[in-house]
Amino acid sequence: MNADLADTHLDVADLIAEATGQVADDRVRDHLASCAHCHAEADRWTLVADGVRALAAAAPQAAPPARPRRSRPRVLAGRRQRIVLAVSAAAALALLGATGYGVTAALSGHAPGTQTGALTAVSGCAGLEQADGTLEQVNGTSLVIATASGQPLTVTMSASTRVSLSGAPLSDITDGASVTVAGPSSDGTIAAGLVVVGGRLTLTLTLPGIVVVRGKAADVSSAGFTVVTSAGTRVPVTTTGSTVAAVFGAPLDQLRAGASTIAVGYAGPGGTLSAVAVFEAIALFHPSPGGQAHTSVTVGNCSPTAIDDAIMALSAG
Amino acid sequence: MHDPHRDAGAATFAVSRDTASDDAELLRRIGQGDEDAMAAFYRAHGRAVFAQVLLVAGERVLAEEIVQDTMLAVWRGAGSFRGESSVRSWVIAIARRQTRDRLRGRRLRVVDEVFLADRPGSGPGPEAMALDRAELAEVMDAIRELAPAHREVLGLVFGSGLSLPEVACVLEIPVGTVKSRLSAARTALSRILNEKGQNR
Repeated sequence: MNADLADTHLDVADLIAEATGQVADDRVRDHLASCAHCHAEADRWTLVADGVRALAAAAPQAAPPARPRRSRPRVLAGRRQRIVLAVSAAAALALLGATGYGVTAALSGHAPGTQTGALTAVSGCAGLEQADGTLEQVNGTSLVIATASGQPLTVTMSASTRVSLSGAPLSDITDGASVTVAGPSSDGTIAAGLVVVGGRLTLTLTLPGIVVVRGKAADVSSAGFTVVTSAGTRVPVTTTGSTVAAVFGAPLDQLRAGASTIAVGYAGPGGTLSAVAVFEAIALFHPSPGGQAHTSVTVGNCSPTAIDDAIMALSAG
Repeated sequence: MHDPHRDAGAATFAVSRDTASDDAELLRRIGQGDEDAMAAFYRAHGRAVFAQVLLVAGERVLAEEIVQDTMLAVWRGAGSFRGESSVRSWVIAIARRQTRDRLRGRRLRVVDEVFLADRPGSGPGPEAMALDRAELAEVMDAIRELAPAHREVLGLVFGSGLSLPEVACVLEIPVGTVKSRLSAARTALSRILNEKGQNR
């Protein structure tokens, strides 16, 4: 990064980092917020990045190998054929994955961390803990979660607790809302797999074939909407019944009993959890009868920003 | 009690997944002849490799053949991966060598184009305005018209998601040259958009 950002402009590496959502330096963010020149440059790089991603998304799936190479020994050709079959099946799975990478994948089970009773330590921040399970009750500003161990856990909320919902109705996407859209692109139109409403819009996905566009929603209809980027570019987006909407900063009354819920916070009195953030996946995840899958939350540090990013990653799968 | 906001203002953590250990494990299993691992490797990297190769080669059938040869090279050479780079940049580098070998002889101009491409861009000027006015579909069309070296570096950074040092390793050039090539690619893109705009 440039040594003194107050006197000069960002270099290409900083602008590229902004275009790929990987800026990790507050000084760069501050400079971008105050420097019109660099802000415009970052927008131009973002448009170039969107173009490359859209081309990658539009690329067809590679066909599996059709014939062995003539110079290859017969035994190797046979082995190659087996590889071809495996790769061919994998290609089909990859295509399915490209359209169904939402919250279900995020909640389909990771190795659990250190668990104490109903709480599990969150990697990356000492003292931060998580509880995951099914939301049983909402009592004013406290929740009761039925955890995998069978223990009910009381989660207390405060004014600063951030509530996020995944699987929210598409009607939560309204004109003027800040949105991040991810999905495959064809001829400049994105078929939305995931729409994140609100949040700080730092989400970065590097899934092959998936384009990510950020901006304000406009022309919202039942079939989709338009994303107007900060550079003024208008990107058409289509939505379907399989589009997953995630809302950050949702009101408490949108939490639904029976939904899979993850609360992240600090141990409170009497075995409760004082929540920093609560994430709920509405109607997308149904624990198997034999037990619940556990999702480990990992944060970069203890800051609210890092916790928000981790919650965003859950929505993205 | 722990203060949940004690680290407020700390550097923002970019969302990312650490798949390095998973990829290394896949390569270890591939080296032992595990075909399921090969399939998983293809799931993880096949599409990105194909998109990058297609971007550079520009022909679907040729790109498919290159990806097939790349995956075969991974199957044969998984044991040679030493962990000195990410698996993604390792397999992209293999694909790049395969692409270069296949294009050698019929696209000798690539070398000249690379040389020219490394001249730094002149920075934002009147041509930058073309990007400010451009729609996404226009940018996509313009990228297709770029020289292979320009398409390649843009694809590595924005399509394959490699870091600038990783791109430098794949292209076997210094990081500074990666930056200047990126700038040159964007300048060329702006020129194409500008010309298209004037012709409308």
